[in-house]
Amino acid sequence: MKKKRWLVLFFILILPVTMIACSNSKAPSNADSGSSDGKIELTFWTFGTTGYEKLIPEYEKQHPNIKIKMQNGEFNDHHNKLFTAISAGSGAPDLAMIEVGFIEKYRDAQDRFYNLYDFGAGDLKSKYLEWKWSIGESADRKFLFGLPTDIGPTVMYYRTDIFEKAGLPVDPKEVAEKIKTWDDYTAAAKQVKEKTGKPMTDNVELIYNARRDQAPEAYFDRQDQLIIEKSPYAKKAYDYTVQLIKEGVVGDLNLWTPEWNGSMKTGGYATLLAPSWMNANIKGNAPNAKDKWAIAPMPEGAGNWGGSYIAIPKESKHAKEAYEFAKWLVSPENQLKSFKDAGLFPSAPELYSNPEFNDYKDEYFYNDHITPVFAEAAKKVKVVYTGKNFQLVQGEIIRALQNVQKKKADPESEWKAAIDRIKTQLARQ
Amino acid sequence: MYREGAEQGLSPGLKRKWWTERKKEIFSGYLYISPFFILFAIFGLFPMLFSFYLAFQKWNGLGTFKYAGLSNLRFVLEDPLFWKSIYNTILFGILGTLPQIIVAIPLAILLNAAWLKLKGFFRMAIFMPYVTSVAAVAIVFSVIFSEQSSGIMNVVLSYIGLEPVSWKTTEWGVKVAISTMVFWRWVGYNTIIFLAGLQRIPPDLYEAATIDGARPIQQLWHITLPLLKPVIVFVTFLSTIGAWQLFVEPLIFYHRISGVREEAMTVVLYLWKEAFVNSAYGTASATAVLLFIIIAIFSILNLIFSKNIGRVN
Amino acid sequence: MQQTVPTHKKGFSLSRFMIYVSLWIGALISLFPFYWMFVIGTNTADKVNETPPALLPGSEMVRNFMKVMEQVDFFSALANTFITASVTTIGVLFLCSLAGFAFAKLNFPGKNIWFGLLLVTMMVPTQLGLIPSYMIITELGWLNDLKALIVPGLVNAFGVFWMRQYISDAIPDDVFDSAKIDGCSHFRIYWNIVVPTILPAFSTLGIITFMFMWNDFLWPVTVLTDNSIQTLQVAIRSLNDVRFTDYGMVLSGTFWATVPLVIVFLLFNKWFISGLTQGSIK
Repeated sequence: MKKKRWLVLFFILILPVTMIACSNSKAPSNADSGSSDGKIELTFWTFGTTGYEKLIPEYEKQHPNIKIKMQNGEFNDHHNKLFTAISAGSGAPDLAMIEVGFIEKYRDAQDRFYNLYDFGAGDLKSKYLEWKWSIGESADRKFLFGLPTDIGPTVMYYRTDIFEKAGLPVDPKEVAEKIKTWDDYTAAAKQVKEKTGKPMTDNVELIYNARRDQAPEAYFDRQDQLIIEKSPYAKKAYDYTVQLIKEGVVGDLNLWTPEWNGSMKTGGYATLLAPSWMNANIKGNAPNAKDKWAIAPMPEGAGNWGGSYIAIPKESKHAKEAYEFAKWLVSPENQLKSFKDAGLFPSAPELYSNPEFNDYKDEYFYNDHITPVFAEAAKKVKVVYTGKNFQLVQGEIIRALQNVQKKKADPESEWKAAIDRIKTQLARQ
Repeated sequence: MYREGAEQGLSPGLKRKWWTERKKEIFSGYLYISPFFILFAIFGLFPMLFSFYLAFQKWNGLGTFKYAGLSNLRFVLEDPLFWKSIYNTILFGILGTLPQIIVAIPLAILLNAAWLKLKGFFRMAIFMPYVTSVAAVAIVFSVIFSEQSSGIMNVVLSYIGLEPVSWKTTEWGVKVAISTMVFWRWVGYNTIIFLAGLQRIPPDLYEAATIDGARPIQQLWHITLPLLKPVIVFVTFLSTIGAWQLFVEPLIFYHRISGVREEAMTVVLYLWKEAFVNSAYGTASATAVLLFIIIAIFSILNLIFSKNIGRVN
Repeated sequence: MQQTVPTHKKGFSLSRFMIYVSLWIGALISLFPFYWMFVIGTNTADKVNETPPALLPGSEMVRNFMKVMEQVDFFSALANTFITASVTTIGVLFLCSLAGFAFAKLNFPGKNIWFGLLLVTMMVPTQLGLIPSYMIITELGWLNDLKALIVPGLVNAFGVFWMRQYISDAIPDDVFDSAKIDGCSHFRIYWNIVVPTILPAFSTLGIITFMFMWNDFLWPVTVLTDNSIQTLQVAIRSLNDVRFTDYGMVLSGTFWATVPLVIVFLLFNKWFISGLTQGSIK
């Protein structure tokens, strides 16, 4: 009995040491990016499905001295660890994919990234959509953080079955004719409500965003001053949403909740004002709803939600090589490949007239040829400066709208309260 | 003192007299507690001081520090949302954490009873919520406390003839839903701790009491509870800290930090949002400092209170 | 052996029947989300949002798990997680009980101050410590190394406090004193008297530590940036896609990542019993 216990102690003391020693040998070193065989190794952090893992071997074949190590992570984890690494000043990769909503966080941190204009990125500018390119720039447009990858132009997804029941046209062309303006949209909404009892849209957020994104300016000017009180647009979007709430045509399915996902299948509402990439979500959540969803342009224009950039953190010791790879990866021909492979919608407009791109068919949707609708939307997006505090303002406005909807609060005082909250929070930074 | 002992300990050839029992004990004491303090000095101290320092700076996570004096603290203390978060946290503590302790003790006694069959199964079942992935928990609770009148909880309410509740947007709906989740996730955890505490009570005490004719309820009152006291102190201490640091449940209930509404905002979520959404690490750290002070006050009250209970018994 | 409630007459007892009924209800409520992970993990992705919710396992068990295997190296992540969780647990059990023993039974100057400091460290909110902690790890060169997970977790205040509370009067002072008079060294007392008596405390602390390390993701995801060295939780989180998350696949991965914990729990649970028998021999 006693002996056994000493044996256990021996085990306790030896086991951790050996295990740590073992684990040590397995851990790859991230620090030295030039590997021993003379190859230059580039670390590349990505998130989600990109299809890049198929393109990388092609590049490595063309450039035998380059080895690219792609590290894929979950969307939030990826951006959090990137921020931690960049903030701490060590451990960042040679190349990082950064989503448009997160690139704003780095606006003031030009010392942490390479200015891609220094590598001659200015020559590439004309190949990409202007609005997309400009978000990758600093406010004064002299510094380029990242090269554009994909985009998320917003359109109107609608349920053909609900439109039919409501006596609205079903064919996408006719729908586009019928719902041209936001007033048309309101009228259609009332019709849907009356005939089917269902709401026109899923929640306050997407309807508000749709109108917000069509404005020529957002919440801040390029000096990062809050313009929300001077500029009429955000308030107009807010008022329109309030109007629809009062008509009772806005649903209460909050984004990304199980109910929201589930209603894509059951048809809980008539239209979903969402970006191109939402098509994958609809298909996944409602695999059996073939031909029940169709895609038409949004009334009065379009906006953008999502899409990324490829940036080169200052820590990289091979920025030139990294830049060359990034340039190659986001080139129009490779954007076409990542679209076909992983559904990343291209930001290079020359592809929108490419027959191979336009012939892309998706049998799931009522209108099989979906790419032209998205491409039209992409061209209509306005060049808007969002600013690093965009999310903060956005969150408060949505909160106000939810209060109007759920608590029957007075819209005007909710708006004022939201502005007050925004101002106090901005004062803290 | 410690160094002296350590050096002597390494050279046993010295005079036996000098190396007294008392010094041995001091040496052992410091040796045994040193791993914790050494690791804390390496891994814990710097983050703690860093947070404290930031409370008096403006910092967005990337740029340079700017001295801000007490303005961060003032911002937080003047923010109604901060006070709302304190109120919410206390309420979640009362509705979600306190009942855990009240339920966990009898549950542990029950799961320890000799006559109970399938002990291992019940113990594990009750502990499973702690282990189940938050992704699954988030979806399940979202479905149960759905806003729709077809949501499971609302259907149950309609059977008893009650109106459906907006579980995610109304003051009390949110409180009940999240407290339920907190209770569900942690009651088994506390039960397991109490269960170990019960094992500590020598069985012969009960045998003697039974021979003396003590009824089960008397045994509970005079043997079980007094001997369980160190464990009860431990659990209340931890639960108090845990309740003040609550954030996982409200966060997963709304699926994303930007979706968390003020009805569910806890102090930690408040500082979390300041740091990771608003990039205001200064005010976030000031909140952390305030939270630390609150927790310290509550913990001290807690310990004083439990000491007094000891005296009464 | 350990009856709180002495067994009286045999046969049917209504109160016991009611107790069993409520225990079963409690157990089912506790187990449901775990079971439901299995249900969705064996179904296609769209089942996750159904109302009323899907309650029966489907036929996609193998296919979902194959999808998981395609995207992540499940078994190497399992090995990493197992190493991390078990080494940490061993460290915690040994070092925390030793420190708890010192705080409970040994006398040394400043003991109460040190213990107070230990309690204070538990009160500090740690959520903002991510960036400075990461800096320490990069300074040590432990990025992408399991050491970054294991070493900081080898001993914690929770465990020390727990062990101190447990040891405080589990071992009567006279036993301790007589052992000292017999000339036992402190470590011998710890090893021969304390350890056998506190097995139930080991069991609890072991379960909690192991499970915590197994399921932790915020810290691992920050310091393990390389895909070739991941823990299970990090790997499983990477299954969530931006556009559409295949919950059939994600919850299948999650479910199989949780199953080992059930086994570990049952192993530790044995110590509850052995603690008693050994304790009574003493």
